[in-house]
Amino acid sequence: MDWRGLLCLALFAWGWEARAAEQSDPVSSVMWDYYHQRLLDSAAFTFDKRVQVLVPPFAEDARQVPIQIDARSLGARVKRLLVWAELNPIAQVVDFQPGEQVLPFLALRIRVEQATPIRAAVLTEDGLWHVGSARVDAAGGGCTAPSVVRAEAGWEERFGQVLGRRFRLEDSDRLRLQVAHPMDNGLVGGIPEFFIEQAELRDASGQRLASLELFPSVSENPTLSFELREAQGAELWLRDNNGNEFQAAF
Amino acid sequence: MRWMILCLALLAGSAQAELTYQLEPRQIAEDVWLVEGSTDNFGRDNGGFILNTGFIVTEYGVLVIDSGPSKRFGEALRAAIARVTDKPPILLILTHHHPDHALGNQAFSDVPIAALEGTRRLLAEQGEAMAENMYRLVGDWMRGTEVRLPTQTLEAGELDIGERRLRLLALSGHSGADLAIFDERSGVLFAGDLLFHQRALTTPGTPGLDVWLEDLARLQALPWQQIVPGHGPITRDAAPFVQMRDYLGWLDQVMRSGAERGAEMNELIRTPIPERFATISLSRYELIRSVSHLYPRYEHSVLQRIDQ
Ligand SMILES: [Zn+2]
Repeated sequence: MDWRGLLCLALFAWGWEARAAEQSDPVSSVMWDYYHQRLLDSAAFTFDKRVQVLVPPFAEDARQVPIQIDARSLGARVKRLLVWAELNPIAQVVDFQPGEQVLPFLALRIRVEQATPIRAAVLTEDGLWHVGSARVDAAGGGCTAPSVVRAEAGWEERFGQVLGRRFRLEDSDRLRLQVAHPMDNGLVGGIPEFFIEQAELRDASGQRLASLELFPSVSENPTLSFELREAQGAELWLRDNNGNEFQAAF
Repeated sequence: MRWMILCLALLAGSAQAELTYQLEPRQIAEDVWLVEGSTDNFGRDNGGFILNTGFIVTEYGVLVIDSGPSKRFGEALRAAIARVTDKPPILLILTHHHPDHALGNQAFSDVPIAALEGTRRLLAEQGEAMAENMYRLVGDWMRGTEVRLPTQTLEAGELDIGERRLRLLALSGHSGADLAIFDERSGVLFAGDLLFHQRALTTPGTPGLDVWLEDLARLQALPWQQIVPGHGPITRDAAPFVQMRDYLGWLDQVMRSGAERGAEMNELIRTPIPERFATISLSRYELIRSVSHLYPRYEHSVLQRIDQ
């Protein structure tokens, strides 16, 4: 074999190895490396189908796109769950830290500006990020569309009201709620950012069950669903970036 | 090689220039004609010709029902009418404001365009955005299409054109303002999009499925001989009513029971479609859309104030 043959072989082997080491991204996003570095600090990760990311195939209403994350089939203790929409002007959606009593499950609605991959990165106790992926198609404009809430008569009176209910499921209790809040993202009509940025789920004695950081890619009048392992009393505390606090009890 | 690419480009260019709607009016009763579209979704292959339009030839001229999805369609419709009668169009009636029914209006700017007051308002509010969306969905077929608002307001009641008496029903279940037109002489009922047949119904502007069901009852009670749904095949029997009622009931039940057990939107859009709806095109697609349009109302009805 001459030197060209050897070079060929070497290149082939190198390419093979590189491919094996580099996991293939299920949604082949050009932005993955960027977010892996920026949000996960380039830490060890695996694309993992057990982190289920449910989205509709297309956004019928780009201002209210339902996403649902379920990582319970990992069967491991989850420390953190990050969600982001890779091609959004405001990519980050939530940073969720469920305690022992709270399942690694979350459902909410977000705004998307264009078709985008949606990621959920779940950190297990062994320090590995398990990354679930999905893609939602969209005509777009959800982040820059004028507020529906602000156009409604009397929205100021409803501001901060929480609608909610507890639902008994097979192995858990689901808490569903909706908060009346415009969740201004600072991208529309010169209205500055005004959004709920922090939430805590607490037990009846005030102990923290889970904490949640929200970003203004979350839709206006945000809807949130959590699941508790057991039927226990729960309270929700919320605070927006102007310091308004809201409280609700399930 | 280069000449081949050039050839292909030329071919593509000429294909592009030849976007023509093949409209073949079919006589369904004396002086009553139907132009039947497919039950597909909007696409670049059909130019948005997915609806049924029709026309009635009277002694004074032609009454046209819906102008179609684009300027080009409206023009093709006029040409098709001229192939079967030498009477000119004298009136265009819009069943509702949706883009596939009302964006061909430009081709009828020389005759009165009549619609319900609500249709005019909704077209004024949503027309631009809907036209933009149509450009995105069907492309070049839309070239030159602009929103034209109705010039006359219709109300429920009787409309006489010479010897011909039409009964107009002002309803709202599908789009918020839906006009159904019943031709007394032929017994043909132009139901607009209050009736879909073998094609999943769409819900972006419905005031509620209960309202829609009430509208269906009123329509079905008319002494019709033949039904022209807004989308899908025409019939001489009540099949579209039966299918609509079944489908609306199912959709309502999916969301009602979903809300009561605390289901998420993403769970509902994956609901199995019952076998009996297997012949209805686009049911999964429209279920996803309907859940987005309507589920928030169902959710609201089961949630309570829990803030402290
Ligand atoms: Zn319609």
